[in-house]
Amino acid sequence: MEVSQIVLVTLFVFLGGIIALSVVSEKHRALIAIIVVVINALLTSIPSVLALSGQVQLGTLLLPHLPGQVINVRIDSLSAWFILIINFTSINGALFGSGYLKSYQHLKTNIGFHWIFYILFHISMIWVCMFDHGIIFLISWELMSISSLMLVIFEYQNKATLKAGINYMIQMHLSVVFLTMGFIWLYTETGSFNLSSLASVVSNNHSIWIFVLFFIGFAIKAGFLPFHTWLPHAHPSAPSHVSGVMSGVIVKLGIFGIFRIISYINHDWFIIGEVILSLSVITALYGIINAAVKYDFKKSLAFCTIENIGIIGIGMGLGLIGIGTQNEIIAILGFGGALLHVLNHSLFKSLLFFSAGSVYQQTHTRNIEKLGGLIKTMPVTAFFFLMGALAIGGLPLFNGFISEYLLYSGLFKGLLSGTGISHVILIVLSIVGLVMVGGISIISFTKLFGVMFLGNPRTELQHEPREASFIMLFPQYIIVALMLSIAFFPQFYFGHVLDIIHSTFPNLVALNNVQIGVINTNLTTIGHLSLYFILLLLVAFVVRFILLRKRKISSCETWGCGYVAPVPKAQYTGRSYARSFGNLFGFVVIERKNFKRISKALLYPTSRKFSTYYFDLLEKYLVMPLMKRISFVMNYFQFIQNGKIQSYVIYGLFFILIVFIGTVFHLIK
Amino acid sequence: MLSFLLIILVSIFFMGLVIRTKSLASGRKGPGILQPMKDIVRLWKKGSVYSTTTSIIFRIAPTVYFSSIIMAILMIPHGNQPGIISFGGDFVLFAYILALGKFLMIISALDTGSSFEGMGASREALFSMLVEPAFFIIMGSLALFTGHTSFYDMFSVLNYGSYISYLIGALSTFVLILIAMIENSRMPVDDPKTHLELTMIHEVMILDNSGFDLGVILYCTPLKFAMYGALIANFFIGSLPLQISLPLFFAIQIVFAVTVGILESFMARFRMSHNPQFIFILTSVSLLIFFGVLLVLGKFI
Repeated sequence: MEVSQIVLVTLFVFLGGIIALSVVSEKHRALIAIIVVVINALLTSIPSVLALSGQVQLGTLLLPHLPGQVINVRIDSLSAWFILIINFTSINGALFGSGYLKSYQHLKTNIGFHWIFYILFHISMIWVCMFDHGIIFLISWELMSISSLMLVIFEYQNKATLKAGINYMIQMHLSVVFLTMGFIWLYTETGSFNLSSLASVVSNNHSIWIFVLFFIGFAIKAGFLPFHTWLPHAHPSAPSHVSGVMSGVIVKLGIFGIFRIISYINHDWFIIGEVILSLSVITALYGIINAAVKYDFKKSLAFCTIENIGIIGIGMGLGLIGIGTQNEIIAILGFGGALLHVLNHSLFKSLLFFSAGSVYQQTHTRNIEKLGGLIKTMPVTAFFFLMGALAIGGLPLFNGFISEYLLYSGLFKGLLSGTGISHVILIVLSIVGLVMVGGISIISFTKLFGVMFLGNPRTELQHEPREASFIMLFPQYIIVALMLSIAFFPQFYFGHVLDIIHSTFPNLVALNNVQIGVINTNLTTIGHLSLYFILLLLVAFVVRFILLRKRKISSCETWGCGYVAPVPKAQYTGRSYARSFGNLFGFVVIERKNFKRISKALLYPTSRKFSTYYFDLLEKYLVMPLMKRISFVMNYFQFIQNGKIQSYVIYGLFFILIVFIGTVFHLIK
Repeated sequence: MLSFLLIILVSIFFMGLVIRTKSLASGRKGPGILQPMKDIVRLWKKGSVYSTTTSIIFRIAPTVYFSSIIMAILMIPHGNQPGIISFGGDFVLFAYILALGKFLMIISALDTGSSFEGMGASREALFSMLVEPAFFIIMGSLALFTGHTSFYDMFSVLNYGSYISYLIGALSTFVLILIAMIENSRMPVDDPKTHLELTMIHEVMILDNSGFDLGVILYCTPLKFAMYGALIANFFIGSLPLQISLPLFFAIQIVFAVTVGILESFMARFRMSHNPQFIFILTSVSLLIFFGVLLVLGKFI
């Protein structure tokens, strides 16, 4: 089947899915949704696998109303990589969601709509990867944004959720505005709406601005620094399977877009690379510093997504620097690290969101200060969260280390091939940034895991938490299996990534096979070392077991330093754990306290409340003031939208008049 | 293999030397060189008491911590003899595998549900995060200096040409000594001998460990010291033949142990809130090293 036919079939499967979802009883809706997602995933995975093995899948759709008429449908290895990631994460999300939504069974209509938008969400993300034609691309992009918005506001009765949803919608449309401007400029420049025609404009000296427009459009989706403010609101508000999929793949589509446009650049690689590299280091640091101090575990995970986008961006910037300095090995390490991290992050972040979702379902709180000791009641979930936490910190034995290793190798190679002092200093600062990001992510994930799952329960919960159901745990087993396969056989995945880089960046000079061989052997060594380390651990445990077998093992309470009445609330909390860190980075994460001063007239003590919170510096001091000014100015134009049909008719008249005058005086051609 | 055996050998008497130096500095005779190791072996023969609050994490963490350090030691070369594990960029694995052990120790401290141990865990996480950049900048400078990215290649190529490169070696040694002190929670940042839980870092994390597990954790300290000592020794061994490098190795380790003892005898512990500044100094000194390397290579334009 040709790939354009596949697009049509997916459309029909989606429409069929809507009909099926609306006729079946509530009980089977989740099943239908899973089936539709799986069918669409299979349909699109087959050409993707072919594309990954080197056969670019091309097809055309004929839409005579659109400029250009012929719509190219294309799955090359880059889009295939993203499509496979989308499919994997979406299937897992659907499986997890079918269990997660069981506790919302009373919201019957919500759930039906939720599943309809879920299958639309899945297929629109895939369409985004397939279409080259600007208008169709934008339509798919818009479908994706709208459907994910509907998924985010699942609990729309909750005001905070609705607010987060509106915030998300506005920011996504800002992204669309930038992309649309980019496409229109592209059309006037080249006469074609195809994204791939970017390659032919770039010789002009203003082409960099088209690139900037596209970059901002995609960066809003990806969550690069000043455009990140939607993430920490949307992720916590969405149901957990949706946050898992959103964090796992929807932000990656921004990365996909950036990959696409940088593959069409054919000049100024070096400076663009340096800009992206600096921006990404700052993004990563800002994200993880905020993640370390947040009390809301889903918010913390959302900030951590920003961090990982930064890490991916470091790889992209490094890759561009590699192309710019004619040093293909740096380019391969950079792009390879970035692409592998896209996969890795989609795995461990969805794992973390799923296991965090299980916790939320059982405890109905996102505040870590109210949790504790969950490892005893939810051991499997705790295990999965720990796996995700170790992997996201880039620790060895897990997949995160592989991509971070590639990035470090690339950065160190970049150091050696330095051209000029500023470049070397930028690279060494990026290394410092990446190291600090690793260290801070250990702080934030020891905090999250330690406070949520270890110790004693800090508050009394409504009901005793139980282990999540099998259908919720099942996708997490699959994710962990795939994560470990990357950690133990990285050379296999790196080989595919290498093919993608080959075909996406034809500008790369002839590849140096010896050095690639060295990277491959290093990765193989790391894979083997992980196995050996596990063997070493096993030996150590066996020795310990044999030694301790016959000895006296007793248990008693935790030593309280002589204090005889310890209460669970006196345990170290998330706030106290991150306090000294927060003070150290007080210029980024500012703590505010919420309390009323005791008035002098108050004779008898009453019950009082005291709370602290950290706010997002950029949102408060950059984005919000700007928004306030804009809405203040926009107030003056409110008279235009006055609700009177008569004036709207007049506007039409004005428009016709302007067009008429314009043509008469040859202002419009 | 040679380097691994040497480090294990040194780890047996390292703490004894430190304690002996401290005793002599304070005018006492002090225990035998092997006394700290005997204490650890005595702990290895004991059973354990576990807190009822703890979970499996608490039981596996010390063993993982120990194994991670063993794994890291396997990567350290001895002059022109490569470590058992050696590949391009192995120092990244070195730093990250140590971080894996630390991660487990931190969460095992949180596992006890004690506020003291949580405090220690928080400090340990913060300080080791702050130390890490200094190590990576030194490794980056060495990589830039030698053009290689694995421990073995860097150290076997390392040879000093100009005066500035001696300065680089001296500064790197200084930074590595202090990194070792911080990683092992020794004097300028932490005092393992203090008896006030509020002022401790590493010791307060392991308040609840006992018996075998405590022995394993305590043995990790001399192991880590010997490991950093071996790294420092590698700065000076270069590609000397074995008959010179072996005595040099032991001499450097002994000098290192005595230095640690002297530092601990004559320095007061910093106030906890001043520790971050102190650790940041390490990063800036390592940046100095980096600029020194740039100077040597003539990259300052």
